[in-house]
Amino acid sequence: MKKLSFPLSRRAVLRGAGCSMALPWLESLHALADTPPPSAFPKRFGVVFLGNGIHEDHWSAEGEGAAMKLSKTLAPLEPVKEKLNVIDGLFVKALTGQGIHPGQTGSLLSGAKIAKGAVIHSGISVDQMIANHIGQDTPQSSIVLACDQPMTGYHETNFSMAYSSHISWQSPDSPVPVEVYPSLAWDNLFDNRGSLLNISVLDRVKSRAQDLTRRISATDKSKLDEFLTSVREVEKRVETMRKSKGNADDAAKGKNTVAFTMDRPANGLPEDLRDHARLMCDIIAIAFQTDKTRVASLIISRDLSAMYYPFLEVKDGHHAASHNNNSDGYERIARFHVEQYAYLASKLNSMKEGTGTVLDNSCLMFLSNLWIGRKHDNFRLPLLLTGGLGGTLQTGRVLNYLKDGVENRKMCSLYLSLLDRFGVKAEEFGDSRTRLERI
Amino acid sequence: MRALLALFACASLAAAAAPATTAPLEQQFQQTVRPFLAKHCLSCHSGASPAAQFDLKAYTNLAHVTKDYPRWALVMERLEAKDMPPKPMTQPPAESSHQVVTWIQALRSAEIKRSAGDPGLVSARRLSNAEYNYTIRDLTGQDMQVTREFPVDPANPAGFDNSGESLTMSPALLNKYLQAAREVANHMVLTPTKLDFAPYPMLVETDREKFAVQRIIQFYSSQPTQYADYFAAAWRFEHRANLRQPTATLATLASLAAEAKLSPKYLQMVYQALKTPETLGPMAKLQQMWQSATAEELVAKTAEMQAFVSRIRLRTSRQFAAPVVKGLPPGSQPLVNWKLKEYAAHRRESDPAALQNESDPPRVAPTIPRYPGLHQEGAPRWAALMAKARVDDMDLVVPTAQRQAYEAAFSRFARVFPDVFYVTERGRYFPDDSQDKGRLLSAGYHSVVGFWRDDTPLMELILDEKAKKELDRLWNEFDYMAQATERTWTQFWFNQAGAVDGKGAEAAAERPVGIAITDPPAIMGMRDKFLLKAAADPKNDPLAPTAINHHFARIDSILRGLEKQRQDAQPLHLQSLVQLASRAYRRPLAKPESDDLLGYYRELRTAKELSHDDAVRETVVSVLMAPDFLYRLDLQDSGLTSSRPAKAAARVAGRPLSSLDLASRLSYFLWSSNPDDELLKRAAAGDLQRPEVLLAQTRRMLKDPRVRGMATEFTGNWLTFRNFEKSNSVDRARFPTFNNELREAMFQEPIRLIEDALQNNRSVLDLIYGNSTFVNPSLAKHYGMPEVKSWTRVDDANRYGRGGLLPMAVFLTLNSPGLRTSPVKRGNWVVQRVLGEIVPPPPPVVPELPHDEATSELPVRDMLAKHRENALCSACHAKIDSFGLAFEGYGPVGNARTKDLAGRVVDTLVNYPGGSTGTAVAGLQNFIREHREKEYLTNFSRKMLAYALNRSLQLSDEITVEQMVAQAPAKGYRIQSFVEAIVTSPQFLNRRLAEKQPVSQLQPLQPTKVQSTKAKL
Repeated sequence: MKKLSFPLSRRAVLRGAGCSMALPWLESLHALADTPPPSAFPKRFGVVFLGNGIHEDHWSAEGEGAAMKLSKTLAPLEPVKEKLNVIDGLFVKALTGQGIHPGQTGSLLSGAKIAKGAVIHSGISVDQMIANHIGQDTPQSSIVLACDQPMTGYHETNFSMAYSSHISWQSPDSPVPVEVYPSLAWDNLFDNRGSLLNISVLDRVKSRAQDLTRRISATDKSKLDEFLTSVREVEKRVETMRKSKGNADDAAKGKNTVAFTMDRPANGLPEDLRDHARLMCDIIAIAFQTDKTRVASLIISRDLSAMYYPFLEVKDGHHAASHNNNSDGYERIARFHVEQYAYLASKLNSMKEGTGTVLDNSCLMFLSNLWIGRKHDNFRLPLLLTGGLGGTLQTGRVLNYLKDGVENRKMCSLYLSLLDRFGVKAEEFGDSRTRLERI
Repeated sequence: MRALLALFACASLAAAAAPATTAPLEQQFQQTVRPFLAKHCLSCHSGASPAAQFDLKAYTNLAHVTKDYPRWALVMERLEAKDMPPKPMTQPPAESSHQVVTWIQALRSAEIKRSAGDPGLVSARRLSNAEYNYTIRDLTGQDMQVTREFPVDPANPAGFDNSGESLTMSPALLNKYLQAAREVANHMVLTPTKLDFAPYPMLVETDREKFAVQRIIQFYSSQPTQYADYFAAAWRFEHRANLRQPTATLATLASLAAEAKLSPKYLQMVYQALKTPETLGPMAKLQQMWQSATAEELVAKTAEMQAFVSRIRLRTSRQFAAPVVKGLPPGSQPLVNWKLKEYAAHRRESDPAALQNESDPPRVAPTIPRYPGLHQEGAPRWAALMAKARVDDMDLVVPTAQRQAYEAAFSRFARVFPDVFYVTERGRYFPDDSQDKGRLLSAGYHSVVGFWRDDTPLMELILDEKAKKELDRLWNEFDYMAQATERTWTQFWFNQAGAVDGKGAEAAAERPVGIAITDPPAIMGMRDKFLLKAAADPKNDPLAPTAINHHFARIDSILRGLEKQRQDAQPLHLQSLVQLASRAYRRPLAKPESDDLLGYYRELRTAKELSHDDAVRETVVSVLMAPDFLYRLDLQDSGLTSSRPAKAAARVAGRPLSSLDLASRLSYFLWSSNPDDELLKRAAAGDLQRPEVLLAQTRRMLKDPRVRGMATEFTGNWLTFRNFEKSNSVDRARFPTFNNELREAMFQEPIRLIEDALQNNRSVLDLIYGNSTFVNPSLAKHYGMPEVKSWTRVDDANRYGRGGLLPMAVFLTLNSPGLRTSPVKRGNWVVQRVLGEIVPPPPPVVPELPHDEATSELPVRDMLAKHRENALCSACHAKIDSFGLAFEGYGPVGNARTKDLAGRVVDTLVNYPGGSTGTAVAGLQNFIREHREKEYLTNFSRKMLAYALNRSLQLSDEITVEQMVAQAPAKGYRIQSFVEAIVTSPQFLNRRLAEKQPVSQLQPLQPTKVQSTKAKL
């Protein structure tokens, strides 16, 4: 079967290629020790995105910890609710008042002002900020996945649909291309392609230098020796990194009580969205578990999604359904997304890491670009955080910022708080210079 | 070649007449020199902290002295000038000093003779950061500056960062190179014929799209499509006799037209149309306007004519709508594309409905419908807008009886004047684009990406065959690079194709099973669904099936065409890859080498399972990581020249560089970059060593814009301002006019002056005495000069206290420690950098001057005068300070001033060493002209030679330096004569045979220490 030629995998390879080769992976070695300090486990960050908002009647929570009561749409999170924070009232000011949909999505994770017309311009997103900081220690600095095909035409607001289709941005001018093929996402992670390619380049360079040595003067040879030594040194580091990771992977597999394994997904696009979403969640889970990457984002449905849900008995496409706010179908679509998110959280929660689980060392974010579809209201956003982020994030809470005033309910303040926890130094981010209260 | 070698032989022979024996010198050293030192010098210049960090006790034999000759040259100079020992100390008898001086001179000549003709050791050297950037720019056509985060390259003792002595490699740096190689490779984009590079990374589809779209927009906007220009040119042709251009033709007028070059064939057509008698209709009116034009009002008249044509053609343009199919939105691609196709095909036609009979009642403006909502047809609103525009346009009202004749006249008019030549933007309700701006080349689809080409009139009327091919190529490459059609098709499928199944205007079609969406069965299957839909209702537009068939056939044919093109392009890409490697390695690749390179590509395809694009990109990475690229190596066995030692001159202890190595040496000297095709061609032809070819190439290259590489790197390092761009030493609160823009302008000023000197072969004396400089708006303001628009040469800069290098703001600022001037730093810069004098470092403990001029008790000048009262200090400061005091008329950021920061009037009267006096910069220039010109010329020659050779100088280079200086007056001190002397020198043309004794390195004293401590002064 011929696959669609999306030029996506390439970039992922390169990010993985990690030209900035770090020293051998230290944190993961703790997985081998008997009683590792909890803080020694790597922190992970994941984002799951739902386009077109939620059914507000069924999106709420109250109470704390085990006593937390979840509404219908959030019900799938019941098993992990003690590790959940339901947050209401945050928003991104730059995305308000400039037109619906792409204009409400383009800088959800960056808070930047986005540009209309021919020029695409947003801001680097928080997940990529984190990836740039912690991604050098893993084969891939991040994985950016989607179940929905990206769109890049123009919306009637004259914003590019690229804003609707990408939440992760590597630079203000370029989104990170999304990988829609589970098989390719898998290959990029587990082929260890990045370092293989580096080894292959270095190998070749070495042999070229050796060839040349025969053709130059003795004095030049010493210069070339210096070069060769450097090549060998770098090569050694890449190899060490690969090996130690391989060992750690094996050890981690044996050590974890629930050893999670996964076969390579079949080529091509899964026909059924349910399979597609599961595969993508599995890939993120296993990538986190084996420390192939520590940052992931997944668009299950993009903004303005045209996917439709026969298995939920919804007749309209997603976007059309979202205009019927009060329909059960709209609620079922949102709940389907929360189910996938809950599946990923539970999966991570089943993976032991030290005395806790991988979820305990992660922060999984769930968000949409709107509150409710028909109103295109983005003065508050549906937002969930799961995972204790290595004991730095208190969970089992319902936090409501709606009445705290615009200055005190910025998404970017939350991002700053998260950046702090990942050790990324930032004075300001997007439209905020302050950390979020109470988080 | 032989002739040139003979020439060198003569030069060398003169110097090396008789091999000197060194025995007497050694003897004299032990018997005369060392005792002298012990008696008069060692009390200061030895021990744990010798004065000026110069330990004379350490020299125990002749070889040791020879090796460190430059310091001994300084000893000689100091003794001759009687500066040393300093005055309070016991002075040696004149005769003893003289003996030592004579000995040093003898040592020098002996060494020069001994090493005559030695081309010096130039080791393999990696590209410096700057060279890497320039080379990448010239390899790829894109200035990426990928080394911006590299560690700074260390300079060699000569002050240049381009030599193997100082350029080292480390694992950390290698890692940076790997990063840089990937960054460059990420800019790569494959076209149907070759590898190309874009100004930004090409990994994301939106970036590839932007790149391809911009190229087409640029092409469009550079085409001559202004009617007024054609009318004016036709008018000038018509009146050529009166304009005293009786021989003018339309063709010459087309190429001469003031602004844009006009299309000759279209000018011919317009002229014919204006000359073919018309009695009625728009052309008749246009002809009248044209005929009544006069030379004085030609511009206004032709503008009026253009406005007339545009108005008539807009209002008579034809209108189209998407075929109506029940259950499909009019914006559905198979339908709306028909409308777009029709528009593009009928731009040279007039809509008969636009005309109104005289006898009809006057037209009434219709109500304009609201701007359509999503998925509604936009045609009715556009029709209403057009109808409204036609109301009261009397040019559209025709005599009822002559209607037919008028319609024909309007048609003829439209054949010549299309409503538009091309469309660059399109919104949802094209042509009513009032709501959607900036959608370049867009097809106007809702949400789905898509592009549409609409430029038939441009192709038919304006472009010649070559330009037509070019435009076709750009559009094809657009699709090829950005996968435009494929992405449109896929996005349509996943977002809108569901409409045909009754799922609404914005719903995906089901994911196909077992086949790709781009496969013919998927495309044709979708077509059949649309055809069924079109046939389902008898009221559907009968054109719909045609539109649908056309649409899907078009997609399939484009995708299949691209598939084949991709297949066909692969061998071309591989050729292109070999070419890139050859340019990167600066030599043709031997067959085994290119096989090896392509073998690597194939291995990546097979063993690593990379796609073609990725494998090519990885191979590019490997090319950029190869030592052949990163290092400049003079290969022992590279062909194209006789590799035998130069027999003609036995004392030339080297052998000629191969033509290819010579080409690289030349291009890195003159451009800081790799040889271009022309130079490589000469090298490959093997005749680059022929003096006339070498000199012709040199002259050609000096004229080339790339010579800015030399202007920047040579001058920047020679005069120590190379890193000024990043310098942040100015207190911007105190000097608010100093901003990044001004800093950049200051940095550029000397570069522009030298670049101009190199390109126009000006005198090197002008660099010091000249009245010219270059300023941009920011710098002109800083200098109080009249406003300029961009970088401009100013030939009377002396009126503003500028001209030549000395009073340039960059040097004055660079050598000021912040809130005051520093005559010491400025003077030291002139003395060391410009005149090449070696000034020893100051003693470790020196009095510190107040840091802020505004609050100091005395002017800087007086404080320095006090400092010089100390005889120990005076020895050096007397040599430096006066040169710096000449600049007291310039403040800490090089601003002209009459008072210092404390409001005291500055004094620029200077007493120079030797007793002469002078005022300000003019005085300094005079002083140099009268007393130090030779030092300047010698220093300039030395610096340029060291830069060109990529190494520090040695005594064997002295002959060349002397020759450069000696020939200068006869050559009018032209800068080219210096460059030519270098490129024809034996050092430049040869390389040292492998096993030659190391010869003394002419190492000037390290000026770095002087700079670090003198900051206090």
